[in-house]
Amino acid sequence: MPDWRAWLAVAVGGLAGTELRYGLGLAFPDTAAAVPWTTLGINVAGSFVLAALTTVWIARPHTAFWVRAGLGPGLLGSFTTFSAVIFSIDHLARAAEHPVWLVYLGMSLLLGLGAAAAGWRTGRLVADRLAS
Amino acid sequence: MAAALVGVFGVAGALLRFAIDSWFAHRTSRPGTAGTPRHWPWATLVVNVTGCLIIGLSIGITGRLGLAPEWQTAVATGFAGGLTTFSSWTTATVRLLSESRFGAAALNVGVNLGAGFTAAAIGIALAS
Repeated sequence: MPDWRAWLAVAVGGLAGTELRYGLGLAFPDTAAAVPWTTLGINVAGSFVLAALTTVWIARPHTAFWVRAGLGPGLLGSFTTFSAVIFSIDHLARAAEHPVWLVYLGMSLLLGLGAAAAGWRTGRLVADRLAS
Repeated sequence: MAAALVGVFGVAGALLRFAIDSWFAHRTSRPGTAGTPRHWPWATLVVNVTGCLIIGLSIGITGRLGLAPEWQTAVATGFAGGLTTFSSWTTATVRLLSESRFGAAALNVGVNLGAGFTAAAIGIALAS
């Protein structure tokens, strides 16, 4: 089991990530019967950053574990959300908003995986530059 | 008030996810008899499906118990939002693709979605 510094870092990162997501939701509320753009943007941005950090950390395994835990599972894990995506799609499907939930599901997959792939490549480039 | 509740529940969700992550990491790093098992994001699947069940339950339960609406936000946005993760799911999928494990990557996408929708529907049905 990880030591107390990792747990503390996850708690601090988790608080920041959750409040950031909650705050963005208040500033840019998602409207009913429409694509939840705020959640989509959060998940796409978080996918890019986590994938980039992951490749940098693979190249630099000496990064302190508590730093990785606080930023990865803590901040970005809590900032992005899977349950809200599933819940919104379920809700839209029950309201017979079929084009809306299909677009949302498609965009979440395409943009989310695309952002993670772009982050993965970016992280590799950064790691190469740090190594040279 | 709502922001503080969401924060406390979010931290609880993040810590539970980290505990589940650590448990799976510990289990798969144990020396096995058939060599080292290849990594697959089991922990992310577990937290995502559990979070979908909780967010489904949250809409009905808080109303039934007569709790203020900020408790529902705390459970749905804070706890279920903090417990589940989208970025680990997409990053793990890209990692599997980078290792040319296309079947494992497709399975990761399909099983999280399929089990997530099922869990949310069960939660909603149980709470209504």
